[in-house]
Amino acid sequence: MNILLIDNNDSFTRNLEHLLVSAVAGCNVDIKPYSRLDSLEYSAYDLIIISPGPGEPAEYPGYKRIFNADKPVLGICLGMQIINELHGGATGRLNGCVHGKTDIIKFDGTKRVVARYHSLKVTMVSSKLDILAVNRDDVVMCLGNAEKRLLGYQFHPESFMTPDGGGYIAFALHFLGLN
Amino acid sequence: MILSADGYPAQTRSVVGVYPITELIITETTTPEQLKGFCFDSPGPTLGFISYTYGMKLRGIASSKPYDFPLGHLKKYKAIVSFENEKLTFSSSHQTLIDTLSEMLGNMSAHSDTQIDYGPTLSRMKKSLDKNGYEDGVRRTLEYIRSGHTYQLNLSTRLSWHCPELNPLALFTTLCREHPAPFYAWLISGQKRILSTSPERFLAVRDGHVLSQPIKGTLRFDVLTPDAHRQLTDSPKESAELSMIVDLVRNDISANCDYGSVHVKNHKSVFAVDNLLQMYADVHGTLRTDKDCLDLFLDAFPGGSITGCPKKSSMEIIERLEPHSRGIYCGSIVIIEDERNMDSSIAIRTATFDMKTHVLDSYAGSGIVVDSDPVREYQETMAKAEKFLALGES
Repeated sequence: MNILLIDNNDSFTRNLEHLLVSAVAGCNVDIKPYSRLDSLEYSAYDLIIISPGPGEPAEYPGYKRIFNADKPVLGICLGMQIINELHGGATGRLNGCVHGKTDIIKFDGTKRVVARYHSLKVTMVSSKLDILAVNRDDVVMCLGNAEKRLLGYQFHPESFMTPDGGGYIAFALHFLGLN
Repeated sequence: MILSADGYPAQTRSVVGVYPITELIITETTTPEQLKGFCFDSPGPTLGFISYTYGMKLRGIASSKPYDFPLGHLKKYKAIVSFENEKLTFSSSHQTLIDTLSEMLGNMSAHSDTQIDYGPTLSRMKKSLDKNGYEDGVRRTLEYIRSGHTYQLNLSTRLSWHCPELNPLALFTTLCREHPAPFYAWLISGQKRILSTSPERFLAVRDGHVLSQPIKGTLRFDVLTPDAHRQLTDSPKESAELSMIVDLVRNDISANCDYGSVHVKNHKSVFAVDNLLQMYADVHGTLRTDKDCLDLFLDAFPGGSITGCPKKSSMEIIERLEPHSRGIYCGSIVIIEDERNMDSSIAIRTATFDMKTHVLDSYAGSGIVVDSDPVREYQETMAKAEKFLALGES
């Protein structure tokens, strides 16, 4: 499987690359910086991943192209917020933002421990996306649309504080119709 | 000269370079290839420093702040003296030099208690960010955190003294004797003298095995009690500081490590240094066979514990908030033996002395997270500077 990982000036992109390689047998991961978004050719890729990053979705214009490429898209943290905003949702500040801490969420029918790094949250969910997980404060932790092949995680599966990070990649591949 | 005290988790080899034979002064135009050429094209270990400011260049962050230091200075030597496991080792192609050094250092223990006066008490300290300035910087950082532009940011201040009668080498040896730590280093670069008293390892590579030991989480103590460890490790704020940097270090070494080899051990371990309890973790990896230790070093530099994360965004904010150029502070002291063997510190608790202007600059900082209180962060910063502050009036 060929995966395009778009790096939004993040510091965890390589962690994500290592997680993908361990979770997806035989995959090839190309990391491209956000600054090259406009010139990227998507046809060779089976999956596009939008990385975490500093700031808010409005600071990262140009992602509409990605969603016109008819490819499955997975967004992590900022990447999830970008998916939501470009499908009509909204982002705002998270009271008492959370960085480098774990939380418990109910995901895919079970309670899980996940790592969180975010100052912002989804304040309005796009009508085209379903909420798939929240935490106990109702902060959106996962949203997606299987038909449109879109999935976003607000938490960080690539963190060492998230047990079984590979499980979230496997879930994403299944949800996005890639296996 | 790198002097390492016993008993610390980052303890390393003590090494002295004798008679420099070749040097590389790093400037804005020095390329990673030139660094590699200097270190690897001729035999023998390389000792020296690489500045935080060179790290800014690597990460594409411009600075217009004046700076009169080299961006790094590396040297190779005619002879190397090492001390490890109570054993002195001499390395040189000049047998007469080995004989001379053996004779000189064979009597070392007879002089080990000799103390040299480093000069009068330091006075008239200036701070680049005074108490109000530092606390305001913390408040501005908190706003950057709330807007998502950084999760954690290391904010520092520079403390400067004019001290014309200071003997910097005597000061270095006094500090080393009274406040031991694993990465003491004394370096000479032109008219500058570098006194590094760092407790923190940046990256070690031993036959391709990579180890980083980031420190985050600090608790000052006067008398160490069993509760103090728990007070530090149970703190959600201090734990989050360390966890963020561990994820960042994992990321930074992953670029040059085998897939699946990067892992964390001993998370939230604690050791005591300079009347501070410090929390750290061991981040391991295996250097890819097609990469060398300088690939690893330069892709991970500067160390995440003194930038914050996300790294580039945090460094851009640091450049806006700090009025001083960090220079060697938060850079690294390195010993590079070959392509797969290296050790390096994070150059914190580090001072520089200019032999012409007689200015001693020391620096201290702390990691700011969303739970930070400006007053406490200033106090933590001053606690880290204590061994320099104790030398004179503050």
